[in-house]
Amino acid sequence: MTAATDTPMVELKGVKKRFGALEVLKGIDLKVDRGKIISIIGPSGSGKSTLLRSINNLEEIDEGRILLDGVQVNRPDLKGLAFERHINHIRQNMGMVFQHFNLFPHLSTLENVTLAPRKLKGMDAGSARELGMELLERVGLADKASVYPSALSGGQKQRVAIARALAMRPKVMLFDEATSALDPELVEEVNQVMKRLAEEHMTMLIVTHEMAFARDVSDWAMFMDGGVVVEENTPAHLFTHPDHERTRHFLRKHLGNQPQTQPHG
Amino acid sequence: MEFDFSPVITYFPTLARGIGATLLIAVVVALLSVLGGQLVAVISIFTRKAVSWPLRFFIWLFMTTPLLLQLYFLYFGIGEWILIPAVAVGVLGLGFHYMAYNADIFIATIKSVSHGQYEASRSLGFGHLATLFYIILPQAFYRAVPQLGNNMIIMVKDTSVLSAIGIAELVYRSQYAISVTFRPFEFYITIAAIYYLINVLMESGQYWFERRAANRR
Amino acid sequence: MDINLMIDITPLLVKAAWVTLDISARGLFFGFFIASALVVLRTSRHLPLRWLARGYISVVRGTPYFVQLLLVFYGGPAIGLRMDPFTCGVVVGAFNIGAYMSEAIRGAIESVDSGQNEASRSLGFGRFATLQHIVLPQAAGLMIRSIGVLAIILIKNSSLVSIISVVELTYQAQRLIGSTYKPLEVFTLSALMYIVIIYAVMGLVELLYRRATRYTFL
Repeated sequence: MTAATDTPMVELKGVKKRFGALEVLKGIDLKVDRGKIISIIGPSGSGKSTLLRSINNLEEIDEGRILLDGVQVNRPDLKGLAFERHINHIRQNMGMVFQHFNLFPHLSTLENVTLAPRKLKGMDAGSARELGMELLERVGLADKASVYPSALSGGQKQRVAIARALAMRPKVMLFDEATSALDPELVEEVNQVMKRLAEEHMTMLIVTHEMAFARDVSDWAMFMDGGVVVEENTPAHLFTHPDHERTRHFLRKHLGNQPQTQPHG
Repeated sequence: MEFDFSPVITYFPTLARGIGATLLIAVVVALLSVLGGQLVAVISIFTRKAVSWPLRFFIWLFMTTPLLLQLYFLYFGIGEWILIPAVAVGVLGLGFHYMAYNADIFIATIKSVSHGQYEASRSLGFGHLATLFYIILPQAFYRAVPQLGNNMIIMVKDTSVLSAIGIAELVYRSQYAISVTFRPFEFYITIAAIYYLINVLMESGQYWFERRAANRR
Repeated sequence: MDINLMIDITPLLVKAAWVTLDISARGLFFGFFIASALVVLRTSRHLPLRWLARGYISVVRGTPYFVQLLLVFYGGPAIGLRMDPFTCGVVVGAFNIGAYMSEAIRGAIESVDSGQNEASRSLGFGRFATLQHIVLPQAAGLMIRSIGVLAIILIKNSSLVSIISVVELTYQAQRLIGSTYKPLEVFTLSALMYIVIIYAVMGLVELLYRRATRYTFL
């Protein structure tokens, strides 16, 4: 899976997805260059989560093409076991972080991180442990290695989930509302971890409700509504001078309670 | 291997009487075990230990030993001292057995009705018993409906065990027919189908009843 | 109560209790494989196989165990199925409990949060590896408890094989009531043995449950 460096890391071409009669993605095009960070914002039901899940094939798209580093992810031509093998291989190159963490409760923190490299890459126990500890160190939880998820706070759980996803050395990280289920005081610790990843030039797609975070961290921002990309631009432009009324309306509602934009005083 | 279902047709009136007996026993046992189960539950929750502990012991005993053993004990035991017909032993035995299971459910659902309901009712001026009858028990009953339904469906199948103490229900009647015709396979397949049909009807009835009860939980 | 009589008949009842335990344990063992096969069939790609499994489960659950036993034991020879009473008890018990157990296993698997499946798949684990490493370890606790409940039902159901003259606990109890005319004594002892067996099973189940769900206490 090597391709020329000018190949986009993630590319979507005319992606459509239907749930029964409801079309939730109405032809999405998207390009993420390597090392770039893209934020996707929009109201709930806009299709932004479905878009992210489609890239991981957790939702199967009905039309269009999804490419990861030049390799097609969705393969309507492959059936049954052949597709299974293909998608398992593709997914090993993508890290996914979920809103509700989905840590494996029967495994310790360290085992959560090392399970995939051990079972999927055949890494021996010693090296897996080393890798796991290094990653837990990076998310600041090395001291929790032998603890089980039930003993962690939400913020800690999500940091372990990020470490778990990083353990497969993914080419891209997908964040599906990673901080939405957290108590407000726990959001920052997860954001810090994500910022550090950004500084290390990890390619990232971030679906989020945190407008300030999206503005600070991303290279490109997209606003989605009703299954289409309403507008996309640099965060500086999109968050301060949106071109569309729908974007303005959405941002007014969601930036309203943030100190930077409060006009009084 | 050849099958001959003509004896089944010839003896169908015999089987039909068995079906009638099975259904009649099932209805009586259902009434006995649901009403009795509720009574036992109420008594075992709201009375002093001298009364409630023996009751709970019997509930436990009926639930931890096999039905057939209980039937044998009643049939050969009680039947030794008092002369009661086998049918009565069977209906009482099956009735007590399921009364215990139903009481166990009612105890749980009565306890699950929140204390707030009790307080709200008392604050309106209802007495203890009135609160129990108008507020607590109806709610407990609707909550118990799904499990009661399951128990009653199992109970109908268990009526077949009564043939072991000579009660002329469906299995017993077919055993008689088999002893005359020597066609066990054909008869047992037929009555299995009859039980299955009863079971399917009961399950759809349960579905209908549960949907009605669901609004009142 | 006649204590001397109770002491005299205890060895007979213990021996019979052993048969009850034996027939139930074998039924449970084979029933587990039948249940697993049914779970696999129910998730098969092929519609007829799914229907076959569903139909089988529905018919077994919809008819009395007692009638199933009589059908196989007395009706079996008509289709070339000849078994001694003990074997028949094991086989019918296994096929009966297998249908219930397949529902218990399916329920336990479905009780695991779908996010677990997604997280595992997103890491690149296949369907089977996800089941093996992620879903089954988390379903194990509930599975053990429901199988425990079924084991107790199987033990109580095993009393019905007395009808096809397997000398197990209920058969022996009935015979002793007939020969001693002391129903209370015989009933007390045989009930006690069922209770001991059932509580032993419950204890074992609780032990296995704790082991399987140890991670929730750590």
